[in-house]
Amino acid sequence: MFDVALSGAGAKVVLTTSSDENYPPENMLDGKAESFWISTGMFPQEFVISFAGMMNVSKIKLSCFHVRGLSIQRSVQKEPLDFEVIDERELTPSDASLQLEEFKFDETTARHMKFIIKSGFDHFVSVHKLNIDGTAVREAE
Amino acid sequence: MPVAMPVVLRAKCVVVGDSTVGKSALTQVFHSDGTHFPKAYSMTIGVELCVKSVNIPETSNSVELYIYDSAGKEMFSDHVQQMWDSPSLAVVVCDLANEKSLSSCVKWLERVKAKAGRDIHAVLVGNKTDLDTRRVVTAEMAQKAAAGMEVVYFECSAKERENVEAPFYFLANAFYKQYQEKVAMTESLCE
Ligand SMILES: Nc1nc2c(ncn2[C@@H]2O[C@H](COP(=O)(O)OP(=O)(O)OP(=O)(O)O)[C@@H](O)[C@H]2O)c(=O)[nH]1
Ligand SMILES: [Mg+2]
Repeated sequence: MFDVALSGAGAKVVLTTSSDENYPPENMLDGKAESFWISTGMFPQEFVISFAGMMNVSKIKLSCFHVRGLSIQRSVQKEPLDFEVIDERELTPSDASLQLEEFKFDETTARHMKFIIKSGFDHFVSVHKLNIDGTAVREAE
Repeated sequence: MPVAMPVVLRAKCVVVGDSTVGKSALTQVFHSDGTHFPKAYSMTIGVELCVKSVNIPETSNSVELYIYDSAGKEMFSDHVQQMWDSPSLAVVVCDLANEKSLSSCVKWLERVKAKAGRDIHAVLVGNKTDLDTRRVVTAEMAQKAAAGMEVVYFECSAKERENVEAPFYFLANAFYKQYQEKVAMTESLCE
């Protein structure tokens, strides 16, 4: 099992709805909770991550702050299109520390994942670390 | 040093208050930089959205205000409130020639706050200062109401294009400050 969402594993953030270059989206994929991406106002907010190839995803661990409604979607297409919801929930509030959330899946393949933050416990929300356990799916060319 | 890319914040700014107090006039005068004042009354049905960018002084950053000019007529209130999810800011407007419109302001602010579920920056705006002979709401009365609502009071005339920007600039700057504070707080949280 690898963390397939690390930049070092070839994962990339291909879209975000907020950008402050002091807090770039790559901060979500550097494996560190200290650095983060922060939204710059209003909801919903979303970001899309593209993996190095087709992955079999078993678990997602998310460190974030003040995120409320979250929808996780996947796409198996070459391009990040035709997303379908694989999990959707309200996260537990936490004011003095980061939220740590786990999402488990069985037999879920994805090339791209979209995270839609539908609402927050504050005007601005941050995502610190995204850890996605998975294995590469062998693909016939 | 490399030049930083400007940061653009986005704020959902709802404009509320009784019907005919001049919410649409205020919004349109602000949005058009004073070139358009809707002289003939045209009732807002539901919500009209417009976007206006405000530069933050001494920075290259800005706040884009997504202004939700909302109907004041009570018959639209259910529909209108559905459009107010996660508001960032509120402009509560009253007509200085209509005392009842001032007493309604508490109710309007409460409605927005209920949708926010948290504290949001808001202002009270007394509009139509140009109607001096018909004016019934004094500055003192409005100040007192604003203090009770814990918001800052502004007065303006959309018709005379007087002081229309001030409440919006105030809110945009307050929102910008809120962002800076949140960033600092988040940084300290994960040190
Ligand atoms: N004298 C004067 N009239 C104004 C001013 N602002 C607006 N009006 C007039 O007041 C009337 C109502 O203005 P609107 O902006 O449409 O009022 P509203 O609050 O949007 O009303 P609803 O859409 O029904 O909620 C119009 O005839 C405007 O021309 C002002 O500053 N001075
Ligand atoms: Mg109107």
